[in-house]
Formats: sequence, structure tokens, C-alpha cells
Amino acid sequence: MTVLRDQVVKSLVQVEVKANEDGLIPGFNVLVNQLPVAFWNTVAERLMAITPPERKAEMESSLVNCAYECGYHTGYGIITSPEFQSVVMPMVTEGAKDVLRGAFAVFTAWGWAKSGIVQIRDGERMVIRAVDYYEADGGGSGHRAYMVQGVSKAFMELAYAAPYPNGMNTFTCEQTQGIEVGDPHGEFVVTKK
Amino acid sequence: MKLELKHTFDEKTFRHALNGHGVVLHCHHYMSLTTKLAEDFADLGAPRVLREATEDSIRPMLDSYIKEHGVASPEERLEVGRQYFAAMGMGTMEITGGASGGTATLKHSHVDEGWLQKWGPHDKPINHFTCGFVAAAFAAAFDKPARSFQVTESASMVMGAPASVLAVKPA
Repeated sequence: MTVLRDQVVKSLVQVEVKANEDGLIPGFNVLVNQLPVAFWNTVAERLMAITPPERKAEMESSLVNCAYECGYHTGYGIITSPEFQSVVMPMVTEGAKDVLRGAFAVFTAWGWAKSGIVQIRDGERMVIRAVDYYEADGGGSGHRAYMVQGVSKAFMELAYAAPYPNGMNTFTCEQTQGIEVGDPHGEFVVTKK
Repeated sequence: MKLELKHTFDEKTFRHALNGHGVVLHCHHYMSLTTKLAEDFADLGAPRVLREATEDSIRPMLDSYIKEHGVASPEERLEVGRQYFAAMGMGTMEITGGASGGTATLKHSHVDEGWLQKWGPHDKPINHFTCGFVAAAFAAAFDKPARSFQVTESASMVMGAPASVLAVKPA
């Protein structure tokens, strides 16, 4: 047996996301928020639009970094959470590779991207394919799945880099295909630096 | 009035929606880093972008709820905003006022508390998201177009205040 993404997703979407009496959603060692996808897409689109050509790369990398740091810390909270232990860990038979598959199942369950690992070389390289992701709805030009890039890199580091919190900046991620530019799916290649 | 919330999950796309509007779960790291990014690119006007993007993306959720449930009074409409704010995990807000202005007070704030958890105190207010949210709530309450209200953070948790206070006045 290995991690069955759709089974994990179906289990995790049953977990009710509800704010407490303080209007906060603590979980996975972080404060969770539940905002319109239009908010995140509009922010990214308009930030790119106000950025002059000579600073576009800096802005893109800053947008990716927002998701990268989020993915690293929240990802660790996810894979060490009781929910992950009860839903995903019983399916783990291939060590880090399966933990990573489980993390991408959670990635899918949270509504970030309907995605999965299509190739993996232990500790070296991973290819993620997403057949649906909300960033593809955003306006702009060129590849713009900043969040998927950042989180993919973060999850690879949680699986294969130095133990948390010392494994950052070990991998890099490049988006090679995007629904937002007319490709049938998004593709993200994570490689060791 | 209790806000009615209907959460749906599309089994084909695996996307979530709240009262018919697409939503996604993220965390305080993402919000704090996005807020910091806006601060870092202040020379380009990024804080204003963050406020306006919030106002423009929250407003449709408020408007559709107000229309579908026939919420008529400005007070009740502000209450819709207050309860949506909490349902989204953004904190507890007291929001009062009229077409000539008002106040929003945050006793708990995802933006402020998330920032404090991540980076600790700061030397200026950082609640760009909430300024945009409150602008949307007031505009929806009084049937005004976007940018009708100017929202300024006059006290801030990240600066040591016990609550963040946002002053609202017509733009």
C-alpha cells in the first residue's frame, strides 16, 4: 500500500474548519485563515502589475518566498499533526517518499491545487503535476503559480533536507508548465541546489 | 442575526467554497509574509494594493449575502461583515458607525497576532488587510462604491496596544 491521495482528501475534508470564540482558527501549530481565492490572486496580479520590468524577478521571487516559508512551517505542522498521523501514516510504506505523497494529499485537501507527484528520485528531484489550481484563475502574464512553487520546494525539504527547522534553502523549484498559459496542467520541477 | 455559512467541496476540482465563493485555507505565515512583502515594496505602493485587493475581493461576498438574505439595515450589514471576518479566522471585531464614519476595534486579530508570533513587535501598524476589509464592510453597509471610505489604523497590537483600532471616514 502507498498513500492514496483521494482517500486522504476525502478523510481530511470531513475535518470541520471552524473559528473559535476569538475568531481564530488554530491548528497544525499555526493560525489558519479561510479567505477568498480572489483575494490571493488579486494581490499577486496587482503586485506584479505595479512592478517595473527591472524588478519583476524580485517581486516574483518574493511571492514564491511567502508560500515557501508558509509551506515549510505549516507543512511541518501538518505532517506532525494528529490528523496526519491518523489518516496518512497508516498508508505509509515507503518512508519519506510516502510522507511526501501524504503532504501533497493535504495540499490538495486544503484547496491549494489538485496535484500529485509524478516522478521522484529520493532526495534529488521531484516533479509535481497539478490538473487544477486556483492561481491559474489569476490575471497577468507568464507562469504565475507562485504558491505552488514555494510549497513544493518546502515539502521536498521537509522530506529530504536536514531535520526541521534546519533544512531550508536546500532545494529549488521551477514551474515548467501552467494552465494559466494554455498548458493542460501545471508542472513543477524541484531539484537540489 | 447569525451568519449562515454553507461550505461546499467540489469533488471534481477539489476546490472549497463558502456561500458559493471560492475560498482556500492558508496560515498566518502566508498572511504575515504577504503583509511584510507589501511593506518591503512600499516604494511601489504595495500596501495600498493589499488594502484595495482586500476591499475588492471581500465586497462580492458581503454583497451577495446581503442581497440573498435581504439584509436591509446598515447595522445588520456591518454585522454581516463582522461575522464573516470571524468565520474566515481573521479575529473578533467590534464595528460601529454610520455613513459619516465609524470605528472597528479588534480584540483578536489573525494579522496582528500572526505577525507577533512570527516577528514580534513592530514600529508601525501593519493591518492593511483589515483596513481593506473594513472599507468593504462600510461600503457594503451604505451601498457605496469601492474607495468610498478611508480606513486608518490608529492603535495597533503589533505596536503594543491591547487592541487594534481602525478609524473610518468618508474618502
